[in-house]
Amino acid sequence: MIYLQAVLLGVPMTVLITVLAFAVGAVLGVPLALARRSPLAPLRVAARFVIDVLRGIPPVVFLFVIYFGIGTDVIKLSSLQAAVVGLGLIAAGYLAEIYRGGLLAVHKGQFESAAALGMNSWTSMTRIIGPQAFRVALPSATTYAIGLLKDSSIASTITATEILYRATASSRGHGAGLEPFLIAAVVYIALGAPLAWLSRTMDAKMRARVAR
Amino acid sequence: MTTTPGPLTDSPVGVTLRDVRKQFGDHVVVDDVSMEVAPGEVVSIIGPSGAGKSTLLRCINLLERPDSGDITVGDVTIHPETGVSPKDLTSLRRTAGMVFQSFNLFPHLTVLRNISIAQERVLGRDRKEAEARSRELLARVGLAEKADTYPTRSSGGQQQRIAIARALAMEPKVMLFDEPTSALDPELGLDVLEVMRGLAGEGMTMIVVTHEMHFAQDVSDRIVVMADGRIIEQGPPSQVLTAPSNERTKRFLRAVTDR
Amino acid sequence: MNEDTLLGGWLEWLPSLLDGLWLSVRLAGASLIIGIPLGLALALLMSARHKWVRVLAIIVVEVGRGTPALVMLQIVYFGLPSAGLTVGSFVAAVVALALTTGAYTSEILRAGLQAVPHGEVEAASALAMNNRDTLRFIVIPQGVRIAIPALLGFAILILQATALTFTIALPELLSRSYSIGSNTFRYLDVLLLAGLLYLIITLPAGWLTTWTERRMARHL
Repeated sequence: MIYLQAVLLGVPMTVLITVLAFAVGAVLGVPLALARRSPLAPLRVAARFVIDVLRGIPPVVFLFVIYFGIGTDVIKLSSLQAAVVGLGLIAAGYLAEIYRGGLLAVHKGQFESAAALGMNSWTSMTRIIGPQAFRVALPSATTYAIGLLKDSSIASTITATEILYRATASSRGHGAGLEPFLIAAVVYIALGAPLAWLSRTMDAKMRARVAR
Repeated sequence: MTTTPGPLTDSPVGVTLRDVRKQFGDHVVVDDVSMEVAPGEVVSIIGPSGAGKSTLLRCINLLERPDSGDITVGDVTIHPETGVSPKDLTSLRRTAGMVFQSFNLFPHLTVLRNISIAQERVLGRDRKEAEARSRELLARVGLAEKADTYPTRSSGGQQQRIAIARALAMEPKVMLFDEPTSALDPELGLDVLEVMRGLAGEGMTMIVVTHEMHFAQDVSDRIVVMADGRIIEQGPPSQVLTAPSNERTKRFLRAVTDR
Repeated sequence: MNEDTLLGGWLEWLPSLLDGLWLSVRLAGASLIIGIPLGLALALLMSARHKWVRVLAIIVVEVGRGTPALVMLQIVYFGLPSAGLTVGSFVAAVVALALTTGAYTSEILRAGLQAVPHGEVEAASALAMNNRDTLRFIVIPQGVRIAIPALLGFAILILQATALTFTIALPELLSRSYSIGSNTFRYLDVLLLAGLLYLIITLPAGWLTTWTERRMARHL
């Protein structure tokens, strides 16, 4: 049971990394998604490239670049900061695509009627298009959040003191045991379960409300 | 290998349904229906939507499992309540062939393979024999040239004819048709109805759920009218279609002819 | 060329890093070759007739999907010796990643199998084909084809996950990069090269995935 206590000590850090990285990604994903749809070709191409790179690079490599590469020579970054920046930027890439999917799912007629009613881009986006796109994007975004929770374990490799870091330390301290890792797995599954449940209930509610 | 085209079946069988009941939750879709179809007889089932016609048909080859009642096809009788043995199920489905409203061809297989695959896997024929038989049947429905193409390359009417050939390849003694032309443009449907006419002429036992009143009138020996899960009227076309005795039948026929 | 410039460094480190990349690719390939059939088996078991088989399959999948890959690697690496099996890092990595692949792809394949029109299954039943033949000839061929874009997308994620195996002493690309970094203190330079090498595979793979997605959508 000492293992459980040690491992649980990492939960606050795990949650912190997950929430902050998701917040960073959720916010930065918006301009990225809009740039992807920009009428200006260079902006579109650049956005597409940035998204592809963020999604193509292994998260651990990206964290290493930020923590060991940039975070030691150029500026001083803590593990937490590097993890949030790294996972947050990657999240921005994925969420930008999820937002794009949401926007594409909104019927073209909506854009046209909003314009016909004399709304400017900002109003139509926030009042008409946005909410509908949000509804479509929410399930995918929740699924991504669950994935981000698991990816936070990668931060252990850059010494962030989250769940897996604690489990590894516990294992090393007691003769390379297996148990701390098994407990860590259980904790991750337990943390993910409420999010998965939330996703399923929201999905069901949303299906009931959308008039089709 | 050519064989002289003869009757598709030399010994059609009859179908008997006794007190067949099927419900989904609280909704009774087939309400203690009994029906007898003699060997070689052509029966058309007509009626308003939701009458239970398709469900009744699908009970015959157990695509729907009745909650109670007996089903007899040829000399195999099953009581679904007490369970159906795999042997009986296979025997039932080999004897009764089915054609669906949406054709349900296998898009990833060529037309030839669509018709051959069940022959090989179920009847145990080898590939050469199965393919020869398939080509024969394709020629019979007028689509010999489509053998090595994929189903999506054919029109709806052609696909349905291929589906008929696929069902006939199993040498059934009863053919079940579930609204075979409902998904087709009237023009494309004509070719399908021609094939069905030919089958009837050769003495196949046929049970057809349809909205095609002309076909029902010209080709059927008997018309069965269903509404609300029950048979409300049945008899020869001349009687049922021109001088029905049931009010509901009259209402239905009026609605159909007024469109 | 001067070894201290970026390009000079890259040229010097490239052979070692490419060896590491090749190891990563082989690892990913082995994991997918074992994991995807495992995923198909799990997907089929989730619709099995016996309730307990279904339950067991669901538990395996939920645990496999709920456990981070990095944790899975540690569990297998430290767990196998406890079970009396001494295997090298590569085998341990393959086992861990194949299990993860099986769990994730079972959901992908299950969706693919369910996407096969039910009418075709009815037609096969009406033709008296048994369940095994219907699965083998009608459902699985089409279901797997439908799942291909998603499977490709997952394959990319597995290649990215191979970078995590440095934690179990596998001398793959990231591990070598880090060693070079700690020897030369030019972490940024060598890690950028590592990132680039991964991208050389994952970027085209991503474009291929998008292209196959579009092609499948058109053919429907």
